Amino acid sequence: MRRQHRSRRAPTFPHGYRYRLDDQDEANQNYLADEEEEAEEEARVMGVPNLEEKEKEEEQNEEEEGQGQPTGNTWWQKLQLMNEYLWDPEQRMSLARTGQSWSLILVIYFFFYASLAAVITVCMYTLFLTISTYMPTFTERVKPPGVMIRPFAHSLNFNFNVSEPDTWQHYVISLNGFLQGYNDSLQEEMNVDCPPGQYFIQDGNEDEDKKACQFKRSFLKNCSGLEDPTFGYSTGQPCILLKMNRIVGFRPELGDPVKVSCKVQRGDENDIRSINYYPESASFDLRYYPYYGKLTHVNYTSPLVAMHFTDVVKNQVVPVQCQLKGKGIINDVINDHFVGRVIFTLNIET
Amino acid sequence: FQKTPEIYSVELSGTKDVKKTDKGDGKQKYRGLKNKCSNFRKNDQIEEIKEELDLDDHKLSSEELEKRYGTNIITGLSSARAAELLARMGPMPSTLPRRPRDCQDVMCLTFPWRDLVLGSGSLLSLTPLLITQVYLGAVLALVVILTGIFAYYQEAKSTNIMASFSKMIPQQALVIRDAEKKTIPSEQLVVGDIVEIKGGDQIPADIRLLSSQGCKVDNSSLTGESEPQSRSCDFTHDNPLETKNIGFYSTTCLEGTATGMVINTGDRTIIGQIASLASGVGNEKTPIAIEIEHFVHIVAGVAVSIGIIFFIIAVSMKYPVLYSIIFLIGIIVANVPEGLLATVTVTLSLTAKRMAKKNCLVKNLEAVETLGSTSIICSDKTGTLTQNRMTVAHLWFDNQIFMADTSEDHSNQIFDQSSETWASLAKIITLCNRAEFKPGQESIPIMKKTVVGDASETALLKFSEVILGDVMEVRKRNRKVAEIPFNSTNKFQLSIHETDDPNDKRFLMVMKGAPERILEKCSTIMINGQEQPLDQSTAKAFHTAYMELGGLGERVLGFCHLYLPADEFPETYSFDIDTMNFPTSSLCFVGLLSMIDPPRSTVPDAVTKCRSAGIKVIMVTGDHPITAKAIARSVGIISANSETVEDIAKRLNIAVEQVNEWDAKAAVVTGMELKDMSQEQLDELLANHSEIVFARTSPQQKLIIVEGCQRLGAVVAVTGDGVNDSPALKKADIGIAMGIAGSDAAKNAADMVLLDDNFASIVTGVEEGRLIFDNLKKTIAYTLTKNIAELCPFLIYIIVGLPLPIGTITILFIDLGTDIIPSIALAYEKAESDIMNRKPRHKKKDRLVNKPLALYSYLHVGLMQSLGAFVVYFTVYSQEGFRPSTLIGLRLEWEKHSVNDLEDSYGQEWTRYQRQYLEWTGYTAFFIAIMVQQIADLIIRKTRRNSIFQQGLFRNKVIWVGIASQIIIALILSYGLGSITALNFTMLRAQYWFVAVPYAILIWVYDEVRKFFIRLYPGGWWDKNMYY
Repeated sequence: MRRQHRSRRAPTFPHGYRYRLDDQDEANQNYLADEEEEAEEEARVMGVPNLEEKEKEEEQNEEEEGQGQPTGNTWWQKLQLMNEYLWDPEQRMSLARTGQSWSLILVIYFFFYASLAAVITVCMYTLFLTISTYMPTFTERVKPPGVMIRPFAHSLNFNFNVSEPDTWQHYVISLNGFLQGYNDSLQEEMNVDCPPGQYFIQDGNEDEDKKACQFKRSFLKNCSGLEDPTFGYSTGQPCILLKMNRIVGFRPELGDPVKVSCKVQRGDENDIRSINYYPESASFDLRYYPYYGKLTHVNYTSPLVAMHFTDVVKNQVVPVQCQLKGKGIINDVINDHFVGRVIFTLNIET
Repeated sequence: FQKTPEIYSVELSGTKDVKKTDKGDGKQKYRGLKNKCSNFRKNDQIEEIKEELDLDDHKLSSEELEKRYGTNIITGLSSARAAELLARMGPMPSTLPRRPRDCQDVMCLTFPWRDLVLGSGSLLSLTPLLITQVYLGAVLALVVILTGIFAYYQEAKSTNIMASFSKMIPQQALVIRDAEKKTIPSEQLVVGDIVEIKGGDQIPADIRLLSSQGCKVDNSSLTGESEPQSRSCDFTHDNPLETKNIGFYSTTCLEGTATGMVINTGDRTIIGQIASLASGVGNEKTPIAIEIEHFVHIVAGVAVSIGIIFFIIAVSMKYPVLYSIIFLIGIIVANVPEGLLATVTVTLSLTAKRMAKKNCLVKNLEAVETLGSTSIICSDKTGTLTQNRMTVAHLWFDNQIFMADTSEDHSNQIFDQSSETWASLAKIITLCNRAEFKPGQESIPIMKKTVVGDASETALLKFSEVILGDVMEVRKRNRKVAEIPFNSTNKFQLSIHETDDPNDKRFLMVMKGAPERILEKCSTIMINGQEQPLDQSTAKAFHTAYMELGGLGERVLGFCHLYLPADEFPETYSFDIDTMNFPTSSLCFVGLLSMIDPPRSTVPDAVTKCRSAGIKVIMVTGDHPITAKAIARSVGIISANSETVEDIAKRLNIAVEQVNEWDAKAAVVTGMELKDMSQEQLDELLANHSEIVFARTSPQQKLIIVEGCQRLGAVVAVTGDGVNDSPALKKADIGIAMGIAGSDAAKNAADMVLLDDNFASIVTGVEEGRLIFDNLKKTIAYTLTKNIAELCPFLIYIIVGLPLPIGTITILFIDLGTDIIPSIALAYEKAESDIMNRKPRHKKKDRLVNKPLALYSYLHVGLMQSLGAFVVYFTVYSQEGFRPSTLIGLRLEWEKHSVNDLEDSYGQEWTRYQRQYLEWTGYTAFFIAIMVQQIADLIIRKTRRNSIFQQGLFRNKVIWVGIASQIIIALILSYGLGSITALNFTMLRAQYWFVAVPYAILIWVYDEVRKFFIRLYPGGWWDKNMYY
């Protein structure tokens, strides 16, 4: 049916665009008397393309396409091609390379990477030759010192019920563990008792072992856990230890030790009626500075300040901010809440 | 991916529709036509075009027409009926279908990227857990939108240039309705309207002429041939396109007036059908689009496979599955070259701009490269290869053939002008000519002046003006007293003049015309100024000369004159051209003159260039085979030493059939022969002959030729100017329309417009196209390299647990900041060797991104870059306190916000924010390291084979602008914006800028070694595996 309609319409157009030559020639005032041309032209008009045949072919093509191969077939073919690419059994090739070619390329890559690795190793080695293992090259990123408190159990919110030991037992365990290194016996054995109020400067080579000053657990008095093994948690008067981050070479201002002071951060200032600090000066003694780094200053124990919250409003969240005060101490960096200060909440239930 | 969805959606129903409507009346059929055209599959296209037209209005008498269309020739349609028809048929669309050119087009180009970037980006935004990536999704979306807008802007700019080309279709038509003449907007015309046209009008619809007074039309918008054709109301040919009584929509009426009846409007007009057919020919993907798609596949493949490998690793390392998925997405994102789309677009449009300066206006940016991969150019003859104006090429007088200068300016006429015969001949040429220069062109060079008159007369006028000086003055001195203009029965032109010699009272009769006709009228011949009787030998000499000139494909004219005796024809004699009261025989033959449309002087060079570039040039012309062959020979399309079958037959003096076809390198095939060929024969012909000329072909056969070439796997460029070329232009891989001679439809269908119609411009285009392909390779290699340096940190972060060396935002600043200008700068790189001396690239084998390119970029330079960057990273961390041994496995603790006393290698304790700040310093350092090494990468990418020092380090200044931009952007980011925490940049110590320099130098040295071995062992193993 379709072919019929096509062939009926077929012969009209092919002549169409041949006219221009004749007309053009005439318009050009055909001086060129070319008889051959005229003969040819007539022949051309005679020639009608064998559209029929072409159409037949095409229709067959269409029919084939029309029957259609299931789409999965092409996928299958692709998969086969892929498979052949991965492993071609005829030419014994994998990924379009023969075994020989593969080994060559692997060897070359091996040598390339080996020499690259060698170069990098040499570079890194020379780099580390220039960097001291005892003293960091730069310390300005870690200054001014940060502050951290103990006990620390993932959160800075102290919620516990005095009458339920389960809610505060882990603080006690944490504190006990932390203070093991401060045991008086250990300190006396390992460290020296150095004069307070002045830097404990140990000149000498970088790589010489340095002595550390004693910081005994007993300095913490009521918060040492020696007299009250529950650090006051059982009575609703929790102890919280505060330590300043170690920084190699950091020295607080001479004659003006860094002090700690805590207060209610937001809300009624009377929520905390009294805090006891141990050592009573509430400060980090100068003799603990400077720090010489972990490699030589092996037994260095960070000085601590214990805050004993002896009278805090109960059954209410009290936000507390403890700040370091002293010359050269910054405690108001907006982005960093742990530089020179620490904020935590107390919620003691009875 | 350029296909409009409609083409496939209604395929079956479309065909059925046609079947049904076919049975209806003729008008109805055209309704479905447009729809149908676009519905057929590509392989039906040839048939489609041939079957297009079924029109019999030209055969009918006026009365039958009146009946058919329900109109009246004198009074026209009534307004009411016109309104009714208009309502039923709808108004005639005022413009031809334009190529859809909007956001959709741009989206096609951006699509692969959009997919990759946006896909991964939106996935990311779904999982806001990943480190800093909370707003990364938004950033990526913004990137996509911005690059999309950018690409659109670039496209729109070139579209605007095109818009300036499109001329307006006639706005007003003079129509007779209700027996009154009215001027109405032409889109309100309906079938049956009686319209009047006059010289200068564009014909507002297809019309059947009812009366005509000296009407001539210019059908160039339809056929591309600008020769005027006369129009009358007589039915002269069965074929509507050949008959004289039909005027076609959008053609121009040059002179005279005519009245006609509208028989088709809008898309149903011939031109509308062809144009809409052209828009139905499916657009093939451009080669560069295929390459970019291939490239995206590679990148996506690499990204996904690395992602999956590390997903498995992460899972087996006991990372939570959610985290592993986030890692997977992160890896994929890190692999996407976000900036490349903008780069490619800019690179292409830079080239397009450069090409526009060289007279190739590229409409479709991707076509820039297509031209470079072209392997066959099917070129028109007239106007493209030739100057498109008749020019005097040879003269024959005194039994001798003289050559005239046919160059563009005619300046160098070297033939012997001393002979008396020449003086006589010159006089005839000057006087027996009706062409005149248009007034007011005194300052314009002769060859550029506009002339009123036909092509041959113009040629003669200009020829004589150049040689003799002021022709008009000569004519004034030799007053014309009588004249018989040319007509097709006489085949001569005659005029009688007074002479300018005051002593000579005789009249001079001059005549020109078809040589044998002129010779018949002659009894003497002028040799060296002396009249001699025309005997056998001189007649033979004439014939030899005539045949020789004719054999050159030239149009030959004969010239003769006669001094009328003063006694018979006194001064007062009145000549009557109707009764011919003067002798027209026994004249004196003076000479022959032959004219040709000569090749442009730049074309032979261009053809030679094409040949050395491995591009086959095929001439496709409607002209006579002899002329076509002559031009082909003179421009080198048929080279001097190759022969056609006919040539061999002539040389060996045997019949054409006996010649072994394969001996002939060249072939001249006429349209008629082509018609009888089967598809296989055509394929064979195209494959086996290196030099082919198709003569006497119709534009439809052009399409067949194009398809044949494409079956051979060639990338085909086609030139064309007429509307009927537009399907072939569309079908070709790159259609090239003529800017001067081309019709709007051809320009719309084409991908490129040649502003000067010059073939040589195509060749410069090819050169640019090839260069851009090479340079895109370099750009992509450059861009891909740093991907590894951006990806490695993430992998190391997952596996070794280092603090993250480089953040996503920082990566974006590399991809869309420092790297953009340098990668564009590579587009300005000069070619390494003569790119016109190698074969066109193979579509399947010479990929834009091939295995060596990917491997070398990823596994060699990329890896070296990452190592260099890691050295800088470790330097920064070590000097701040974290030595590599501490860093390993530190990630978890490092990222915990609650840990504010993390110990480093020296026992110092860091708060989270201090660590964070250090991490950003690490980002910045890593960023600077990549930037520094990318400078080296940029320099090495300048060449692929030659040493940088051969190429010249400073020849491409833009590269240095790029390097400067990289450094300046990095400086601004680090020192200017270092305090803005959201950008994750910090002020970096000055010395860290130089840590990566040795690695940059290492990269440069390594690449020089690579290139050295490639040059040392061309074709060797190293070349095969390391040359991209």
